[in-house]
Amino acid sequence: MKDDALNRVKYDALVIGSGISGMESALKLGDMGYKVLVVEKEASVGGKMILLSKVFPTLDCASCISTPKMGATIHHPNLTVLTYAEVETIERQDGGFRARIKQKPRFVVETACTGCRQCEMVCKVAVPDEFNADLVSRRAAHIAFPQAVPKKAVIERQGTSRCTFNCPAGIKAHGYVALVRSGEYEKAFQLVADATPLVGSLGRACYAPCESECSRGNLEGPLSIRRLKRFVADMHYAKPRVAPETPPANGMKVAVVGSGPAGLTAAWHLARKGYEVKIFEAAPQPGGMMRLALPPYRLPIEVVEQDIANVTDIGVTIQTNSRIEDLEALKAQGFSAVLVAIGTHLGAKLRVPGEDLQGIVRATEFLRAAKLGERLEVAGKRVVVIGGGNVAIDAARTAMRLHAGSVEVLSLESLKEMPAHPWEIAEAKAEGVTFRHSCGVRDFEGDERVRSINLLRCISVLDEKGRFNPKYSDKRAGTVEGDLVVVAAGMRPDSGEFGLPINPSGTFQVDKGTLQTCIPDVFAAGDAVAGPTMITSAAGEGRRAAFMIDRWLHGQAMDVEEFERRLEMVDKEAVLARQSTYRELPAGAPREAVKLAPGEFYPDEETMTEVEALDAAARCLDCGVCSECNSCVDICPAHAIDLKMQEQEIEAEVGTVLLATGYTLFPADLKPQYGYGKFKNVITGMQMDRLLAPTRPYNAVVRPGDGKVPDSIAFILCTGSRDETLGNPMCSRICCMYSIKHNQLIMGALPLADVTVYYMDVRTPSKGYNEFYEQAKGMGANFVKGRVASISEKDNGNLLLRYEDIENGTVTETEHDMVVLAVGVRPNDEAARLFPGNDLRLDEFGWVGESNEDVNPGATNISGVFVAGAASGVKDIPDSILHAGGAAAQAAAYLERHGRPATDAAALAEKLAAEPANGGAPAASTTETGPASATGSSTAKAAGVAR
Amino acid sequence: MTTANREIREIVRDEHIMRNRILRLLEGRPSTIPEIAEGLGAPPSEVTYWVMGMRKYGYVREEKEVTDEGYYRYQAIEREIG
Repeated sequence: MKDDALNRVKYDALVIGSGISGMESALKLGDMGYKVLVVEKEASVGGKMILLSKVFPTLDCASCISTPKMGATIHHPNLTVLTYAEVETIERQDGGFRARIKQKPRFVVETACTGCRQCEMVCKVAVPDEFNADLVSRRAAHIAFPQAVPKKAVIERQGTSRCTFNCPAGIKAHGYVALVRSGEYEKAFQLVADATPLVGSLGRACYAPCESECSRGNLEGPLSIRRLKRFVADMHYAKPRVAPETPPANGMKVAVVGSGPAGLTAAWHLARKGYEVKIFEAAPQPGGMMRLALPPYRLPIEVVEQDIANVTDIGVTIQTNSRIEDLEALKAQGFSAVLVAIGTHLGAKLRVPGEDLQGIVRATEFLRAAKLGERLEVAGKRVVVIGGGNVAIDAARTAMRLHAGSVEVLSLESLKEMPAHPWEIAEAKAEGVTFRHSCGVRDFEGDERVRSINLLRCISVLDEKGRFNPKYSDKRAGTVEGDLVVVAAGMRPDSGEFGLPINPSGTFQVDKGTLQTCIPDVFAAGDAVAGPTMITSAAGEGRRAAFMIDRWLHGQAMDVEEFERRLEMVDKEAVLARQSTYRELPAGAPREAVKLAPGEFYPDEETMTEVEALDAAARCLDCGVCSECNSCVDICPAHAIDLKMQEQEIEAEVGTVLLATGYTLFPADLKPQYGYGKFKNVITGMQMDRLLAPTRPYNAVVRPGDGKVPDSIAFILCTGSRDETLGNPMCSRICCMYSIKHNQLIMGALPLADVTVYYMDVRTPSKGYNEFYEQAKGMGANFVKGRVASISEKDNGNLLLRYEDIENGTVTETEHDMVVLAVGVRPNDEAARLFPGNDLRLDEFGWVGESNEDVNPGATNISGVFVAGAASGVKDIPDSILHAGGAAAQAAAYLERHGRPATDAAALAEKLAAEPANGGAPAASTTETGPASATGSSTAKAAGVAR
Repeated sequence: MTTANREIREIVRDEHIMRNRILRLLEGRPSTIPEIAEGLGAPPSEVTYWVMGMRKYGYVREEKEVTDEGYYRYQAIEREIG
């Protein structure tokens, strides 16, 4: 929140939770004229009741009863409802309370979303559907359930996925993996291309920092993310090229100096924004280091050319053999801005005696000559490469391929310290390259031509601050004879001609965030700024440069934060903790050190087959949940998706608080003898309710284990209630009745099915309940008095129940197709956590304590804080509503006794409406309805916030 | 019937990748969940997740009648995959 004052709002009452009790309390207070703020953690109001099939004993449709109340709640003129929001703390303040509320981002602009579900239909990430009790999947982009109010989509994001977060180029790596998993290879290619046109090159030669951070790396090994990119690139390039649509021109020209990864990527983005872009390249061919330095076995030239064609296809022109030295001349040609992205093509010198002897070359020159097919005198020669980085390894391996007699790499570093990647070193060794570590060059000897190298022992490479500052012992470390010496001791840009301020390393001085030089319309990016990096890093800086140039030329703020805004990287441990077990999915054969014969420059890695690609993508853990594949963004007809939304903090001052946080269901797997979670056809009562509901997850009541219509269904009452061994001695009150409801509904849906209820005793404590019970028995439900001791599973998925038949005094086994565990309920401990110092008193079982249940129901030990419904103890629906109404009356009386705070209920809505990042909700109605004057209307007044 | 249990999250994560395989199995031949499971070599309980997810998102629908063994058959719905 940029302006704290705007996030302070005042209400008469805060209602936490919007289940049937929360809605009832809020509506009652609203009808009395009080301004009420309702905070609901889920994306819809309705709580658990809306998820039920029917209610007992009337068998009225739960949805039919709930939805009018949900609509009334959301549209009531005195109610403001924040869905997908959570109260974090409540503190007493000035006679009232101050609540801190976290508004979670939906990533969907609520005012724009029409609830069409198209985002959900195309979403590529499937997760268990908690609103269907995990019986089926939902999508990361979803509407909570069909009757959701508000019926607005929400995109579940738990952070930026680690692969995506760590891609310097800004490629949505998780996104393209998810698209591959769905078989949408072309979309995957286009998603990569949204960040950089170098899809093929990065698919071959990227060092894949994404893979280093992959959460699956903590299991069997990381995903082959780079190879998946190569797969989609190869699939794309195997098809005939299709001329892309060129964007409408915006009338401005930008010059890019240099056609390496930074220049090409910047040109790509600028051209897609309508700029006329011309690249000036000093070399005879475009591509920078990708073409001139990377050996073809790592990056074939034809792949570079395919990537470059992406850029030229949308209208970018490239002028080669064109060395730019005068930036002013470019401006005179009508270019509004210039990007200097010249790379680092100069090899650094060692500055030791004899360095100018013939036979000593820079690695950049050597690799360039090799790549361009120039004649090199290498065959049969003793080649010595000086350097410990990847360029040194590239030079060494290239020399081997050019039939060198021997190749030895001399590095200052020990083997472990070498900057080159270990697999590259291993591959070089496999090809016959030898290494000599911890040695530096003292001098070169020879007449006109180098003959030998005298070495010094290097005792340290970096100083105490981590800077490159090698230290040597006085003793010589031997002499190496060589015919050709390739020096790979660093690279620097050829930056002297431009008249721009440079650093001692030769790199350009720029603003790190905007890449702007001291000349405002001249920008610099890539290795020419950062020094030698990776293709992906240079591409990322090219993307940044294009973003900044566009803003500059349009007179917009150079907003670095806007460019860099994204969610925090999701925590790896949190990702892995989502599951307690993982099926082992091999990471694929590790890259083997392949010895290529001299002269072989063909790629040392095959592209994946489609099956391999799908298997590889299937290993993804969906770290951030949403993959950012942009499928929803592309399809949303209302353009409502905004993946850059931020969480917001809201501070509410309220006169009174009502806790309507409800209850939780007993986790059935805590009764292992019943096999829940292990035997597929053992389900819970809530799952049976979902199977029976009109919005059920399946087409009928069928077994989760195999889709069979069950012939014989057993119910086990008191699962997790009245059970001292589980610390819950209380009767849950509702389990008997909801099971009897299930009995009746099943006998209606499956007339031939047998229903058996195993019980200790059946409790029917309210009006019409016993008649309901008798009715079920009359319909044929079989009630067996006996505690089930254990369940075992047969090969066909049927279940054997072993139980003591109390009435007959026998221990018996009976087979059923399906078992329903009538799980009890437990207190929801969320309410207690809201009050610092545990000020809120709970009863001995953990429910919110009432000061005096007999004469003062609803009042807690904190004056001004009330509890509504099942948060104070298990209740059926009628009792919850009754209790919630009483709590509302208590709260109203409290407000009248203590005075109402000055409310500004419209402020929050107005503020949020003005700030689309929070959903751009419409303003809450400012209709004033004073106490006792409200109509209680559920008519659709202008909606409150977050609707 | 008893197979090494996978967590639900892991099973449903496979839905997208299994979808085309299931649709190929259903080409011209509506099948029950056990039949699909046999065709895929996957546990029927996991196939239930995938088929029901595909049903929810409009890729398959059930036939009206159940088989003598008590299973619904599911058939592919012609639609553009995307």
